[in-house]
Amino acid sequence: MKLPRRLVVMVALTAIALTACTEEAKQEPAAPQGTSAPQAGGVTGRPVKVAFSAPGADHGWLKAITDNARKAAEELKVDLVLAEGTNDTASQVSQVETLISQKPDVLVILPQEGGALTPIAQKAMQAGIPVVNVDREFSTPAAFRTWIGGDNYGIGVAAADLIANELKCNGNVVEIQGVAGISVTEERTKGFTDGIKRCNGGIKIVASQPADFLPDKGLQVMETMLQGHKDIKAVYTHDDDMAMGAVQAIRNAGREDEMFITGAGGSKDAMNLIAEGGLYRATFLYNPSMSGSAISLAKLIAEQKGLSELVEPEVPSRIQLPATTVTKENVASVQSLGY
Amino acid sequence: MAVDTPASRNALAGLRQVPIQELVLPVVIVALLIAGIIIKPDVFPTSDNLLNVLTQASITGIIAIGMTFVIATGGIDLSVGSVLAAASIAGGLLADNGSYTFMLGAVGLAVLLGAINGLAITWGKVVPFVATLAMLTIARGLALWMSDKTPISLAELDILQRIGSSRLLGVPIPALVFLAVTIAGWVLLNRTTFGRHTIAVGGNRSAARIAGIRSNRVVFAVYVLIGLCVGISAILLSGRLASASPVVGNLVELDAIAAVVIGGTALTGGKATVTGTFFGVITFALIFNLLNLLNMPSEIQGIVKGVLILAAVALQRRD
Repeated sequence: MKLPRRLVVMVALTAIALTACTEEAKQEPAAPQGTSAPQAGGVTGRPVKVAFSAPGADHGWLKAITDNARKAAEELKVDLVLAEGTNDTASQVSQVETLISQKPDVLVILPQEGGALTPIAQKAMQAGIPVVNVDREFSTPAAFRTWIGGDNYGIGVAAADLIANELKCNGNVVEIQGVAGISVTEERTKGFTDGIKRCNGGIKIVASQPADFLPDKGLQVMETMLQGHKDIKAVYTHDDDMAMGAVQAIRNAGREDEMFITGAGGSKDAMNLIAEGGLYRATFLYNPSMSGSAISLAKLIAEQKGLSELVEPEVPSRIQLPATTVTKENVASVQSLGY
Repeated sequence: MAVDTPASRNALAGLRQVPIQELVLPVVIVALLIAGIIIKPDVFPTSDNLLNVLTQASITGIIAIGMTFVIATGGIDLSVGSVLAAASIAGGLLADNGSYTFMLGAVGLAVLLGAINGLAITWGKVVPFVATLAMLTIARGLALWMSDKTPISLAELDILQRIGSSRLLGVPIPALVFLAVTIAGWVLLNRTTFGRHTIAVGGNRSAARIAGIRSNRVVFAVYVLIGLCVGISAILLSGRLASASPVVGNLVELDAIAAVVIGGTALTGGKATVTGTFFGVITFALIFNLLNLLNMPSEIQGIVKGVLILAAVALQRRD
């Protein structure tokens, strides 16, 4: 009786260690490497040391954020201290505290929640560590040296534009939202409803439901909308991954000729479908390449340089990326950005 | 109720004892159906929509049937949502060799993880809540790690997609599978020694031991059984989505547990009903369908669900 039990405990521990290891492997270039950092760099002395913190990469977009940051750091020869993998605001705060204690030149933060990370970012700024804020904005500009992010409201407006043009301002539209009650979702919805107003009621949003950015929820919500509405011209969704579930619901119902769908973000899968033509008409970039740019900006800030094409000798305090519309016509030119 | 005559007390006790417990959900379901027919006469009562409700109920429903057995032993399984994702991914990794290897991979991993839960609880003596909580994070980690956090397309798997989205005799296959699992679950619980032992173990473990029931075996078996259910659900879900994604199955465990509980199975173990669970699953699926058809905000759905859980369980309380 004793032996098997011990054995099982061992197996379980190995399994836990295994998953822990792979998690660690992903965030490994973090702490140990950081502490042993100062190696001789080029003529300018040691390489710029950038600390990076983002929420856990459990969604295609967030994974791409971390990957892009890492890639940019490699290319720019920046010493990157990376702390990935927490979906809890409080633990991200302590993660950032640990990062600050390692005295980086610049801190890059994509907060799980802008407001909650604001005090700690402000503390870093006061301690003389410039902060680059990515995507979700801190509640005060005093908490960042520069902010770079996408345009959630712009995604809604661009989608409304495309749908209004394609439908000539006439027909029923349904909307599949992200997680209810967060700013990303609210802005993407507001942009869309504002944008669609120019049709003066010609386009009706007959249903609008959240599916939490998840493909299985997207499938269920779309299935029910298909039951409820026998005449749908277009489907506006807040996310490419989630839209894949909706696409499948439309296909399963055999109604792909009746309507088209739009996504948001710019995933590889979405771009492939757009290139094929048909049901998946467009997506709107909310590109995770922004974390790569954030690393570049961090390096420029540390070196006290500006953007070389601008007259000003320093980095601007806000950079907003456009929600570029990706359709069959231009998909080839942006496909390399897909995640 | 202020009048406390023996007669009224008897009448009340009688009412509570026999029918109410088992009638609550059917009444709720009938009420929902009538409401649907009145509010959305053109859409709701169509066979298409009702079959859609049954299909949507199938993924959580099959898991809930397995959960009924787990809860009957006084246990709980919090890991099912994560295991659903891990199983889909495991299948997806084997998808190059066709639909059958997908199914083998999905069911294989789900059963394996269920067995690990079972071992941790029986031989490891870890309480079910903790053991399966650990498995919840392990399985989600496995799903993300195995897939490198990217969904796997299953567009090439014809058979799998047909299982997910086509019909047999006019009924969607996932719905048929759900009905079959429900019937199998009913037979297993009510007509076999294993079923009797499951209830006995949940009712009073030492009494069960004295009666010669090997509780550890029974407990281990129910976690393997729910693993099998999760594996079947993974096949249906992946077929319906035509892809395997590491983020699916979020909070499915809570939906399954809620369905089991409003169905009348006691969380403390020793009392279980498969029919009740089936009705519970259908109730939630109908609410989702109706509120969606009415385009009600999702927060209303949360409130309705919660109130219903409270009301149903309060009405079912015994003594």
